[in-house]
Amino acid sequence: MDQLLQHLLNGLLLGATYSLLGIGLTLVFGLMNVVNFAHGEFYTLGAYAAFAALALASVHFFLAIPLAIVAGAGAGAICERLLLRPLRGQSIDTVMLVMIGVWIAMQNAELLGWGGVARSVPTPFPTQPLVLGPVSVAPLRVFVFVVSAGLILGAHLLLARTKLGRAMRATFQDRETAALMGVSIERIHTITFAFGAGLAAAAGALLGPVFLLYPSMGDLASLKAFSVVILGGLGNFAGAALGGLVLGVAEELGAGYVSSGYRDAVGFLMIVAVLLLRPSGIFARAERVG
Amino acid sequence: MTRAIRALSVALAVLFALGAPTAWAQETVKIGVIEPLSGPVAASGNYVRMGAEIARDWINAKGGVLGRKIELLIEDNKSDPKEAATAAEKLIVRDKVPVIMGAWGSSMTLAAMPKLEEYGVPMVVETSSAASITKSGNPWIFRISPPSEMEALGLEKYLKDFGIKQADFLAVNTDWGRGSVTAFGNLLKKSGASVGAVEFMDQAATDMNAQITKVKAGSADTLFLTTSVEQITLVLKQAQEQRLTRKVITTGGSSSPSQLIKQAGAAAEGTYHILFFLPWFPEAMPDGKLAKAFVDEWAKRGHPFEGLTEGFRGHDGILTAVEGIRVAGKADPKAVQQALWKVNLMGLNGPIKFEKDGPAGKESGQSKPSIFIVQVKDGKIALPAFVKK
Amino acid sequence: MRRLAFVIGLAVAVTAPLWVWNPYHLHTLIMAGIFAVLALSLNLLLGYTGQLSLGHAAFFGIGAYATALLSVKGGCSPWIGLLAAIVLPGVAGWVIGRLALKLRGAYFVLLTISFAGCVSLVSVNWMDLTNGPLGLPGVPALEIALPGLPALPLRSKTAFYYVVLLAVMLAYLLCLALIRSRVGRALVALRENETLAASVGIDGTHYLVLAAVISAAMAGFGGGLYAHYTRFVSPEVFLFTYTVTMVIMVVAGGKGTLAGPVVGAVLFTVLPEALRAATSWQWQMLLYGILLVAVLFFLPEGIVPALRRLRPEPHRRASPA
Repeated sequence: MDQLLQHLLNGLLLGATYSLLGIGLTLVFGLMNVVNFAHGEFYTLGAYAAFAALALASVHFFLAIPLAIVAGAGAGAICERLLLRPLRGQSIDTVMLVMIGVWIAMQNAELLGWGGVARSVPTPFPTQPLVLGPVSVAPLRVFVFVVSAGLILGAHLLLARTKLGRAMRATFQDRETAALMGVSIERIHTITFAFGAGLAAAAGALLGPVFLLYPSMGDLASLKAFSVVILGGLGNFAGAALGGLVLGVAEELGAGYVSSGYRDAVGFLMIVAVLLLRPSGIFARAERVG
Repeated sequence: MTRAIRALSVALAVLFALGAPTAWAQETVKIGVIEPLSGPVAASGNYVRMGAEIARDWINAKGGVLGRKIELLIEDNKSDPKEAATAAEKLIVRDKVPVIMGAWGSSMTLAAMPKLEEYGVPMVVETSSAASITKSGNPWIFRISPPSEMEALGLEKYLKDFGIKQADFLAVNTDWGRGSVTAFGNLLKKSGASVGAVEFMDQAATDMNAQITKVKAGSADTLFLTTSVEQITLVLKQAQEQRLTRKVITTGGSSSPSQLIKQAGAAAEGTYHILFFLPWFPEAMPDGKLAKAFVDEWAKRGHPFEGLTEGFRGHDGILTAVEGIRVAGKADPKAVQQALWKVNLMGLNGPIKFEKDGPAGKESGQSKPSIFIVQVKDGKIALPAFVKK
Repeated sequence: MRRLAFVIGLAVAVTAPLWVWNPYHLHTLIMAGIFAVLALSLNLLLGYTGQLSLGHAAFFGIGAYATALLSVKGGCSPWIGLLAAIVLPGVAGWVIGRLALKLRGAYFVLLTISFAGCVSLVSVNWMDLTNGPLGLPGVPALEIALPGLPALPLRSKTAFYYVVLLAVMLAYLLCLALIRSRVGRALVALRENETLAASVGIDGTHYLVLAAVISAAMAGFGGGLYAHYTRFVSPEVFLFTYTVTMVIMVVAGGKGTLAGPVVGAVLFTVLPEALRAATSWQWQMLLYGILLVAVLFFLPEGIVPALRRLRPEPHRRASPA
């Protein structure tokens, strides 16, 4: 019983981070129809930006996270302006392949710049775990959980309640009408992609301190983000948020009670099951942004 | 569009032209190096490269070999066996190297091995631990790193001091991790201890909480940990978060306890590490003066101290390869292969001398490296009490 | 004009071992040939049906493992192994096709990724069958054994080069025949306008599954060749980078053309080796990524369609090839 409780807690903490990774990707896919293979690289960028701010410029930990988000969003905006805007109208495969190129180039640029040695980010949180009856948890992970939930909620409100969010949804639903209504199409594209990249960078800045920083850290993040997006339904914002939690818990239980060697298979098998049984995602009825 | 195509073809032509062999290369003795320099284990591969470069510079400062300077041709295998095989082919055929050092991971080494046999070029294996490398009857293989079985034997004499009754295993899901689990598991069973949970983790995994929770539910007293230093850091931190109390022993020699102390902090306290080089106590190494000089040179070049436990392999590998060339008297692959059997030198790890291993008539060379154990104590590296006596 | 280019290309390919005296260059060409088979197979799906398989490395890997296991552990002739390397992935392709192609589009992409992920994990964890992460060394070379004559192993690079060249030509002709046939026209009709195709009685799922089976079998064949050439198979054959490489070759070469994947395969096998020769290791992958982006940025439809547009033919036949 104690073991089960600990597994569930681990799964929820892990799942929240998957959710944060997934929403940025699902947003860019759902709204812009761009399969962003460089998503994990914006995650890496966020992590290294936070590290640079903390360790090299001695900024306070709580300030480093927003700085990383700004860095990620800025890089996303540049990427959209330089590469995606000229390619608008090209097939989805071509754009996907360009993002694969960006992924390879960014990862190897990071290797060149930072070296392959893993780095750890210092945090102001104590390392002693909080003990709650039979289970225990590190304070940092609680902080990451809370901030992730806050960011997801904030992103949701921005999309659903603000004028900018409405303009974003309108642009991708009906370009011409949105343009007629006075929406600047080009600006919305840039903002949307920067928004997705910023969310990935936020995930990197939050998870960097929990785990370690190394140039290929984004690969796993991309993989998990894609799994989450599929589970939640492509372009489904709330679905991605819930899908992350489900994936986290399922992986944890699979590794705990079935076989740790097959840990990542749990996610794949769930995806296959979802695709076959409920192809629009587990949470098909939830609100869609796309 | 036309301009773009023209620009592209010009770029490609320039690339090829740059690749043409340069004339001055004739004057040096070339040694091929194949390491994972990008990808998930890039850090380790680069440390080995740094060690190899120190060996190169030292040897050249003393006049090189056969009256010529040595030159390292370094190739990245991108942690992909296909790339390792291609790199071996390139080094042998295009660059005509008489000997290669590589290729870090066992699957990379195994993939390069048919090329060695095809062209008849010897390779000094500096890191790989899979038993099959020296057992498969490839006479071009000369390994200076210990296979897992040999490493387990090195621990045998201290087993009583550890007082292990039951041990769990947590290992990376590769040939190295799996081989380690088998070798140390057999050793424990032979000595009357039992094996509890055996858990694996993906090479890229960052969250090992599930495995740790499972281990915690058992009743073992010791945890054997076999993986990269990055994953060891994460496991120790996550074990601390879950209040897992076990005697931890890391195997494989890649653990770099200094990095653990820096990055895992208190979570690394009390852990034991099986290593092949002790940069904290160079004077305790078989050749204290050489070890001290290497540690100093490493620091002088601004390389991270944590890399020394891997970097020494590069030094010893190049030293062995060059000694092979010296004994052979010429930079010819077949002659170097014969000469490697006669190599008898003192490396950073200890004496390097090859013994025959594998099927008769086609034996590979296996040296018997020294194995050391250290413990993290009060945030510092110490020799455990039972080793000192 | 086009025919001339084709004849010259073929002549160059057939005589290559005569003037490519460096075995390393020949090795690069053999790898290019194996990847040409893979790229042609992926192109069948991506180029002619519009369905993207991001799990193609799975079919490649199953093929490689099938022949390696049969010839190393089962003691079968490598040719039987190669046959299994075609049949088993074909069956896998059928299953995936049946499951996914009702849904198509993004769902096909996702199902193929997941399938590849699962197969890769099986290859690592099912130690008894696959030898796990240790891989299978000692895969035998192909050999020609005629009754009454001593077996002739195809161990030399030149011999294997011709095996691979033959394989590429077979794959090319198979694709050509398929595309010129009723099946090919149905696939293109489906890609262009499914509703319209359905209205003239084309059963979409049936044709798509057929394409998936042939594509998977071809990829498996490529895997089989790879296993007998490198003589070593390990779980890394399922690496996502292999799939990415195939996609790069097809899209950058020109999807939906027959020459595109072959050109892409040669270019993107030679490019990393050229970079290896031109720069030190730190820059190779970085430049590779930048060059990839540059190719697509300037030639978003791929190299072969761009070249065609360069020299418009006055009497161009309306053939999908």
